[in-house]
Amino acid sequence: MSGNHIRGIRGAALALAGVFMAVLAFADDPLVYATIQPAQILLGESAQFTITNLGDGTNPITMPVVAGLKFEIIGRTREVQLINGTTLPSSSIVMRVTPQMAGIFTIPAVTPRAQPLVLQVNASASGTSRPSLSRPAAPIPPPPILSGASIPKGVRLTDDGSAYVRLSVPKREVYVGESVPVEIEVGMRSGFVSSLNGLPKLTDDNFALNNLSHQPERTEKLINGEPFVLLTWRSTLAVVKPGAFSLSAEAPLTVKIRTRPKQESSLDDRFGDPFWQNLFGATVPKDIDVKSPAQELTVRELPAQGRPADFHGAIGTFSIASDVSPTKADVGDPLTLRMRVTGSGNFDRVDSTMLDHLDQWKTYPPKSSFNTSDPIALGGMKTFEQPVIASKPGVQELPGLAFSYFDPNTRHYETARSAPLSVSISPSLADSRAAPHALGTAALADNKFAAGLRPDHVETPAMSSLIPLYLQPKFLAVPSIVVLAFAAGWASARRRRGVGERESASDRIASRAAKRSLAQMQAAARVGDVALFFDSARTALRSMLAARWQLAPEEITAAELEDRLGAESDIRELFALADEAKYSGHKLNATDFARWLRIVRRQLMSDKAV
Amino acid sequence: MNLLRAALVFCLLLGSARVHSESEPAGYSAAGLYNLANSYARAGKPGMAILNYERVSLLAPGAPDIQANLRFVRAAANLPAEMPDTLDRVAKIASPFWMSWLGVLGLVIVGASVILAQLSSRHRLARAAAAVSGVTMIGLTFCSALALGSRLHQGVVIAAATPVRVSPVPMGDPLFSLPEGEKVKITAEHEGFDLIETRAGRAGWIANSNLAPIVPR
Repeated sequence: MSGNHIRGIRGAALALAGVFMAVLAFADDPLVYATIQPAQILLGESAQFTITNLGDGTNPITMPVVAGLKFEIIGRTREVQLINGTTLPSSSIVMRVTPQMAGIFTIPAVTPRAQPLVLQVNASASGTSRPSLSRPAAPIPPPPILSGASIPKGVRLTDDGSAYVRLSVPKREVYVGESVPVEIEVGMRSGFVSSLNGLPKLTDDNFALNNLSHQPERTEKLINGEPFVLLTWRSTLAVVKPGAFSLSAEAPLTVKIRTRPKQESSLDDRFGDPFWQNLFGATVPKDIDVKSPAQELTVRELPAQGRPADFHGAIGTFSIASDVSPTKADVGDPLTLRMRVTGSGNFDRVDSTMLDHLDQWKTYPPKSSFNTSDPIALGGMKTFEQPVIASKPGVQELPGLAFSYFDPNTRHYETARSAPLSVSISPSLADSRAAPHALGTAALADNKFAAGLRPDHVETPAMSSLIPLYLQPKFLAVPSIVVLAFAAGWASARRRRGVGERESASDRIASRAAKRSLAQMQAAARVGDVALFFDSARTALRSMLAARWQLAPEEITAAELEDRLGAESDIRELFALADEAKYSGHKLNATDFARWLRIVRRQLMSDKAV
Repeated sequence: MNLLRAALVFCLLLGSARVHSESEPAGYSAAGLYNLANSYARAGKPGMAILNYERVSLLAPGAPDIQANLRFVRAAANLPAEMPDTLDRVAKIASPFWMSWLGVLGLVIVGASVILAQLSSRHRLARAAAAVSGVTMIGLTFCSALALGSRLHQGVVIAAATPVRVSPVPMGDPLFSLPEGEKVKITAEHEGFDLIETRAGRAGWIANSNLAPIVPR
C-alpha cells in the first residue's frame, strides 16, 4: 500500500467523520422545555425556573439573560429510566429567579420553536388582591416526572401515537350565555413532538372561548407506556345561540415523521430513544393539527316564563350582601351603598342599577369591580358601589337590594335579596334658618372665636330681603318709570319749543315783508306815483290776508274781500282804488297818501299781533 | 301736559307703595342675622358665622360691629384679611335701601334739570348744579350696586377642609381643599354640586352641603 493510497484512505476517513459529525449537528434538537413557577410573584420573592431536556442532555444550555432578573443555578438533576424496555434520559437545571424590580419580564425561549416565558413581578401593595401571592417564597418542588401510566379517558392518540388533544366539558346541556368551565389538554410524546405552534382552539364558531394563558399547566405522564408531556389549559366557554352542536378542540403541532418503514424502525421504537432516531435521520418534521374527539353539546334558550324584570343575563349560582358607610351623616353628605354579589357564573353579565328614584334620597349610578377567586374568572365577587345622599334628617332606611339570576342547576330564575339598612341623618349646617339654639350650650364653651366679639344687637321686627333693593326687579320699575316720564316730558318740551321757534321765524319773515311794502308805499307817495302806491299796498295786504285765511294770494279778490270783510271795509276800498289807479290814473293828495299809509300799516301790524 | 304729570306722579306713588309693601316681609332682620352670626362664632363654627356676617353686610354694609366681628372671626380662623376697595367704601355710606331711593332721587333731579333747560333759559347755574348733584347720587347708587351685586353669586365654605373635586360627583378626584369660612364665587350648579372659583383663580366642584350661598337660593 503506497503512501498516497494511505493518505487517500485517511482523507476518506476524515471526510466520513466530518459527514458523521455534520449529521449529528444537523439532527433535530431533543425536546427541551422550560417552566417557571409561580408565574406571578411579589417583589422580594423568588421564582423557580427549570429547564428540562428530555434528550441525551449533551447540548449545552445557556443561561438566560434578562435585565432586572437575577438567575442562580441551585441544582442539576440527571435521570435515565428504563420503562417497558425503553430508556428515557432526562436532565434538568433548576434556577432561582430573583427580580430586582417590579414589572413584567419576558424570559427568552430555550429553543427557537418554544414559547418565551413571562414572569410578572408585582409591587408589594398590589399583591393584596391575590392572597396566594402574599405568602413568602418557599422552595417549590419540581414537577413529578413520569407519574401515572394509564390512558386517560377521552384520549385518542394520533395515528403515529405522538400526540393527542382532549377537551373536557363538564356538562352536556348548557344555556345560551352561560359560562361553562372547560379543560383542554394537549399531550405530546417525548421525542416525537418538536413544538407546539400555537394555542389550542375550538373548531366551532358558535362557541366563544375566553383567552387562554400562554403558560399552561405542565405535567409529564406515561401514557400507554410512552412518556408524554401534558399541557393543560383551563378556561370558560360561552355559547351564542341555541341548538345541538358537536364540539372539539385542536392544536397545531410539529411532529417527527418516520422516513423508514415501520418494520425497520421497530428497533428504534423499542429503544424509544430519540437520539438514535436523530442519529440515523429516521424522522422529518411535519406540521399537523391534532383534534380532540367531538363532544355533543345541547344549548338551550333561557326560559321566558318567570323571567324577573331586573334580570340582566346572569347565569350561575349567586348570593348577595349589602352595607352602607358611614351609618351616621349629615343631610347632603354622600354615603356609599355597597352590594356584593358572590358565587360562580358569568360575572360579565352580573349587573345591577341598585337603588333608583328613592324618595328622600338622591342616588347616583353605581360603579362595579370584580375580584375573581379562580384563574378562569368563573367564581369570585362583584362589588357595586353607589353614592347616595339623604335629603332629610332623621333615621332613614335604605330598602333591601335584590339581584336576579338564572340558576342552571334548578333551571329556574332566582332572586337574591339583602336586608334593609338603617342610617342616622343629622340636619345640615347649610340650612341658614337653623336656630343657633341647636348648637347647644356645651358648644358655647370658651374658644378662640368667642372672645373678642362685639356684643349682640337688640332685635327689631324690621325684615327685609337680602337682595339689595336696587337689584330687585320690582324696584327697578320705579327708576324705569321715572326715566320714561322725564323722557316724555323732555320730548314734549322740546316739541313745544320747536313750534315757538318756527312761529317766531315766520313772524320775522312777515315783518320784514311788511316793512319792505311800507317802504315802497312811502317812496311812491313821495314821487306821487299813485299806481305804485296802491299796488304795493295791495300786494302786502294780499299776502297778509292769504296767510290769515289759508288761501292762495291770487284767490284774494274783490269778491272774496266783500264776502269776508263786507263792502264798506277799508281793504275792499283800497283794492278798488288800486284797480282804478292802475287803469284810470286816479290822483291823490298828500293827505290821502298819509291816510292810506296809516290804514295799511295798521292792518299789517294788527295781523302780526294776531 | 297736566295729564302726563298726573300719570307720572301716580306711577311713582304706585311703584313706591308696591316696592315698600313687598320688601317688608322678606324675612331677614339685620340684628337677627348679626346675633345668629355671633352665636355661631361663639360655638366655634367660623364658616356659619362668616356666612351670616356676610349676609347681614348686605343689609347694613356700613355697620361697624358687623365689620369688626367679621374681621375678628376671619382672623381667628386663619383666613386672610379682606382689603376693601373703593366700591366697598362707597357701599358702606348707606344701606342699599336708602341707596336705592337716593338713585331715584338723582334721576328725578337730573330729569327735572333737563326738562327745565328745554322750557327756560334762566337759572342756568342752578340747573347745572342740580344736574351734577343728581348724577352724583346716581353714581353712588351704581357703585353700591357694583359692590354688593357681586356678593349675590358668592358662597362661604361651611365645613372644614372641604374637598374641591374635578367633577360634580361624590367620587370625583379631589383637586385641593378649602378651609372653613373661605369665600368663593359660585359660577355654576349641577346635581348637588357647585362650580366655584377661589380668589386665586382656582376652580372646581364642591358638594353644596359644604357650601352655603350668601344669598340663599
